[in-house]
Amino acid sequence: MIEIAASFYDGKTSRRQEVRISFHPSGLLRITGLESDLVHSLSEVRISPRIGNTPRSIYLPGDAKCETLDNDAIDAVLEFHGRSRWHRSLHKLESRLGWALAALVITIVGAWGLVQFGVPALAKQVAFALPESVDAALGQDGLKVLDRLVFSPSDLQEDVQDQFLTIFDGMTQELTDARDMRLEFRKSDLVGPNAFALPSGVIVVTDELVLLAEHEKELIAVLAHEIGHVMNRHTLRRLLQNSAAVLVIANITGDVTSLTALSAGMPTLLLETKYSRAFETEADEFAMEYMRAHDIPLEYFARILLRMEEATGHGSSTHNYLASHPATSDRVKMFKGHK
Amino acid sequence: MTVTVPFEFSGRAGEYFKIWIVNILLTFLTLGIYSAWAKVRTRRYFYGNTFLQDSSFEYLADPVKILKGRLIVFGFFVLYAIATRIAVAAGALFGLFFLLIFPWVFVRALAFNARNSSYRNIRFDFNASYGRAAGVFIGGGILTALTLGLGYPYFVYLRSKFVVGNSGYGSTPFGFSARAANFYGVYLVAFVGIVLAIGLAWVLLAAGAGPEELMTGGWLAVILFYLSLGFLMVYLQTSITNLVWSNAHLGDHRLESTLQTTQMLWIHVSNTVAIVLSFGLLIPWAIIRKVRYRLDNLKLLAAGELDDFIAGEQETVAAAGGEIADFFDFDLGI
Repeated sequence: MIEIAASFYDGKTSRRQEVRISFHPSGLLRITGLESDLVHSLSEVRISPRIGNTPRSIYLPGDAKCETLDNDAIDAVLEFHGRSRWHRSLHKLESRLGWALAALVITIVGAWGLVQFGVPALAKQVAFALPESVDAALGQDGLKVLDRLVFSPSDLQEDVQDQFLTIFDGMTQELTDARDMRLEFRKSDLVGPNAFALPSGVIVVTDELVLLAEHEKELIAVLAHEIGHVMNRHTLRRLLQNSAAVLVIANITGDVTSLTALSAGMPTLLLETKYSRAFETEADEFAMEYMRAHDIPLEYFARILLRMEEATGHGSSTHNYLASHPATSDRVKMFKGHK
Repeated sequence: MTVTVPFEFSGRAGEYFKIWIVNILLTFLTLGIYSAWAKVRTRRYFYGNTFLQDSSFEYLADPVKILKGRLIVFGFFVLYAIATRIAVAAGALFGLFFLLIFPWVFVRALAFNARNSSYRNIRFDFNASYGRAAGVFIGGGILTALTLGLGYPYFVYLRSKFVVGNSGYGSTPFGFSARAANFYGVYLVAFVGIVLAIGLAWVLLAAGAGPEELMTGGWLAVILFYLSLGFLMVYLQTSITNLVWSNAHLGDHRLESTLQTTQMLWIHVSNTVAIVLSFGLLIPWAIIRKVRYRLDNLKLLAAGELDDFIAGEQETVAAAGGEIADFFDFDLGI
């Protein structure tokens, strides 16, 4: 027989009465200390699950309940009668440091695996299952917005533009399932020498980049890289990946979003840039493949990359976790290392 | 005769860390379904560790109800996300819909929370019509807009009065004795503070004459300005909390909240630093620390025994309203 001290509340008023509860092996419990003793069978009372060392509630039939701090005695009674196994194992999980650390490791490894492999793979599947009109819809107004914000019309001579338009058409036509792609020239002091791929299939090259290039083949390499972004549907995948990753992170840090936005925002930012670097690498690989197929020495891409970094002054020369592109030195190595 | 009864909090960071991490693991493994159970366990941990005159509080919500509420909210969120991708106008429509149901959400969230909180086996209560809630929010909103913000403290006063005045413990209603002037006092101090901060930034900017001094002066001004802004935000939050709690009474019993701005600011800043440096592992410690400070500064000024409160008649409430509030992380003003 197990006997514990408890407080009794009848559920009608807030009066507290100190009582003793004795649990008999037969499954009966007797509450003494009230005007008259109460006897119940264990099967008609509900006992709250154990959480840390918070008081346990024993809900009696009707509205009354008892509250006790003697968690171990209650657990012994429940174990003896083989009740609430699930909650008891949950408490074991929650009360042993070893288990908690195992949980920590599993969570970190699981979350890492999901974010590293699961989310990108899933996003790729979904993106390629969606029609290409989705990409187009995403970037419909993209160029208009950019025109208003950072671009001005190109100053390049028409014959220079035509030269590259012809090359670009040749490139897109031979890609078997090529989508509608278009090459646009823009001038921008703010952006400097650079090229962009919009999800709608528009590729923008700045005047500054054309002037920076010392050889036609350097620009072809850059165009191949940008076509790689469009063909691999990176904008749509980025959108899908980032929203899925935010869900995963919100799930994990769910308890704390109100505590500080920073602690939830930081990992999201890190992830976004990590995904972005993965896309750049994929586009680089696409460019590499194209150049090999057309006997263009990979050197050319490495050269223009280096010159772009020099010109902008702030290329990602160190492997920074906050960088959206892989380090230029790594990319150059990749292109120089292969033949 | 009044007796000061302190709230006591016995939660421990080490213990909560283990509960927290298991909650995260199981939520993760069940793809979020366990989050409803996790929420209830977390609440039960904090309520159960809060004692007043040797009796603890208890959180009684049913996880299944919370899960249902979460699924409804999640469904709405997915609909919203899809709709805004298809047409921007749909976003505005959802916004309008959300604005319309806001009073309902507010009332439901408070009712769900109150009726699932108990002390000495007597549940708390919240009872207010949606119409009155809409009146407070629409009226307060219009007032604030018409007076170019001058009416905002009055709006906060109305909202606090609405929340406290419609709450109850068992069949005993809470009373609210603060006046609008008290709220204006708090906001006036904050306003003077902002004016001073802007003035200081101005002086610093003006002091730097040469281009280089302007740069350092500019940075200093920006940093000081944001620091004082942070301080004022914590000041507002702390003072309003103190004001609302200290003016809530239950029968002849009164509450008293004595939080201090500098302490709160220190806790916020050091918690954030600790969380970032520990990659989130100190989150449970930070939460326990914050809750402990808040409860250490809350007292009940009891006029006699706490034995005579009588239970009230209550209907049960669905969890959806509360979950919407949770999802959008509302500040319910208390």
